[in-house]
Amino acid sequence: MADIIVLEKMNKFYGTYHALKDVNLTIAKGEKVVVCGPSGSGKSTMIRCINRLEEHDGGRIVVGGEELTDDEKKIDLVRREVGMVFQSFNLFPHMTVLENLTLAPRLVRKMATVEAEAIAMKYLTRVRIPDQAHKYPSQLSGGQQQRVAIARALCMNPEVMLFDEPTSALDPEMISEVLDVMTDLAREGMTMVCVTHEMGFARSVADRIVFMDQGEIVEVSTPAEFFAAPKSERARTFLGQILAH
Amino acid sequence: MSVLDGWWDDFFFGLMTVLQVFSVSLVIAVVCGLLGASAKLSKSRILRGVAQGYTIVFRGAPELLVLLLFYFGMAIALTQLVQLVDPSVKFIDLPPFWAGSIAIGLIVGAYMTETFRGAFLGVDRGQVEAARALSLKRHQIFRYVRLPQMWRLALPNFGNHMLSIMKDTALVSIIGLEEILFVAKMANSLIHRPFLLYMTVALIYLAMTTVITLAVGWLERRANRHLRGAR
Amino acid sequence: MSFDLSLIATSLPKILQGLGLTLNLLAVSTLFGLILAVGILLMRLSRRSWLVWPAKAYIYFFRGTPLLVQLFVIYHGLPQFGFIRQSVLWPLLREPYWCSVIALSLNTAAYVSEILRGGVLGVDKGFVEAGKALGLSKFQRTTRITAPLAVRLALPAYSNEIVSMLKSTALASTVTLMEMTGVARTIVADTFAPYEIFIAATIIYLVLVWIIQTGFTLIETYANRHVRKT
Ligand SMILES: Nc1ncnc2c1ncn2[C@@H]1O[C@H](COP(=O)(O)OP(=O)(O)OP(=O)(O)O)[C@@H](O)[C@H]1O
Ligand SMILES: [Mg+2]
Repeated sequence: MADIIVLEKMNKFYGTYHALKDVNLTIAKGEKVVVCGPSGSGKSTMIRCINRLEEHDGGRIVVGGEELTDDEKKIDLVRREVGMVFQSFNLFPHMTVLENLTLAPRLVRKMATVEAEAIAMKYLTRVRIPDQAHKYPSQLSGGQQQRVAIARALCMNPEVMLFDEPTSALDPEMISEVLDVMTDLAREGMTMVCVTHEMGFARSVADRIVFMDQGEIVEVSTPAEFFAAPKSERARTFLGQILAH
Repeated sequence: MSVLDGWWDDFFFGLMTVLQVFSVSLVIAVVCGLLGASAKLSKSRILRGVAQGYTIVFRGAPELLVLLLFYFGMAIALTQLVQLVDPSVKFIDLPPFWAGSIAIGLIVGAYMTETFRGAFLGVDRGQVEAARALSLKRHQIFRYVRLPQMWRLALPNFGNHMLSIMKDTALVSIIGLEEILFVAKMANSLIHRPFLLYMTVALIYLAMTTVITLAVGWLERRANRHLRGAR
Repeated sequence: MSFDLSLIATSLPKILQGLGLTLNLLAVSTLFGLILAVGILLMRLSRRSWLVWPAKAYIYFFRGTPLLVQLFVIYHGLPQFGFIRQSVLWPLLREPYWCSVIALSLNTAAYVSEILRGGVLGVDKGFVEAGKALGLSKFQRTTRITAPLAVRLALPAYSNEIVSMLKSTALASTVTLMEMTGVARTIVADTFAPYEIFIAATIIYLVLVWIIQTGFTLIETYANRHVRKT
């Protein structure tokens, strides 16, 4: 299988703070990777570099065959093929659900409104809220908003989906409705990179688990290995803390 | 700038007048603002209504109009009052200094009313409840919990109100008070350098507003010391 | 003391003769001011310091000096220069009307650009990032996301600025324009009944302020229809 994301010796600094240290990671098409690690370990920074919401300061990032540099054209190409879901949803508050979904297909893919709306309705049905199309985001529950955000990313028909703690801002009773949608997506073969602390989801969906600490990838294992016998002391401590609840 | 030689002392005294009007207006504005805010927060419907009327009128009417109303109107009122006692008096002139200062003070006081009211309401209720739970007295809560935070919340707006007062002082030249814009008009009638003269006035005002801005900025940094490093 | 209520009633229609000019000054200066403000805002938000610096200086000067003084510099001051009197702009700069419009527009532009900048800075970074992640271009992000959200945030302050502009038009009376305050001043000079006349004028201004505020409340309600009412 072709590698769709390649990170090679990637480094990132915030001022003098070394946020990512020589990160190497290759993700194949169709693979599902869960990224976990303690707060501040650089998980968000790493996945935000993949669609260049952050600029890396050293090493290489290649997404879908395009290397990310200052070249705006390439960045645009990559962003079209990479969907992203944020912890805080970030739905455009002044647009209805349908407008949120059709905006990028119309502007970026130059799709006709009717066509964009048909696709939007398809994905809204897929995330199980077709009846909310004409509401504004503030009229939806958190779980519904996050599902709209997933549908919005899917409307661009991306090759890869990035998730940055998609369930962390949700009330407990809404977490599963979002995880169910994500699990469906994984079954359909989407390539996924997912920062999450939902270990049940990681166990059932992930092909590999990437554990990060202090800006480094400490270990990469299959879920079975990771949960049964983490290789590193740091991962063991982390698991101990997170599973203690 | 040698054409301005001979006028610098006039500008200096004009500036002193500006600063006097500024100071008196500021005091009046703060007093009106505090009274207005207390009235708006009071339980009495009459007081609230009066304060509401005050802010609507003085924030809605043009500054110039209020100034003219006070200058000419109060002169007539005073004259009539004095004529009750001594009918031989023809006309009493209200000094433009007082008419101007009172008018500006009342106008900006209306804006300060809203600022002070907002600052009072802006202090987190939870803190007041916490203080009550610690059995602090009402005046202690006001002195140690409310006041320091009101000050911090009101400062940015308060700074803007001071800038308004400073700039409004230019209006008193219209009722004949000899401040710097008036000096420039006088000088212009003799040396005919209007651009130079009015630009000088502008730059003097710019210097004054800069001083106010810097001072308020310094006070704000002091008032926000405890927030430093927080995100 | 004699206070003549009927004088208020009879002077109202006379003062209203200045209403047209007051509204004209307000509308024209607001429009020019807004266009200029957007230009200054773009300079101020640019990353190029040779654009930022003049914008900052402009804002600093026009917010730091009294509008009356600015008006005097333009109306009385500019004709000092021969090249101004010879220029194509002279037919405009000779007119108190255009000098008032220029002073009001230049002045309000400084305030409005800062109001709009406040709106832009208030837009949550997350929305812009979501736009980036969807592949929207910088121009598309600006026009579809940042600008509409910034305008909504700026509306309340902008409505205050319009009210403030209305009040500022009264200063045009100092350069001989017969807008409402100018008319009121002439009537006072004739009748010497300052209370009645100026109060009548104040009433009209208060009604205009009320109309402006009500209008903006309606606009804000419409613009914020997406916000859930709780
Ligand atoms: N814009 C920024 N400027 C400076 N430092 C930053 C910035 N963004 C992140 N950092 C720092 O970089 C480090 C990694 O941050 P990052 O957000 O990637 O962590 P994370 O693993 O996603 O943590 P969390 O689980 O809390 O989301 C942290 O120490 C953070 O303080
Ligand atoms: Mg994070």
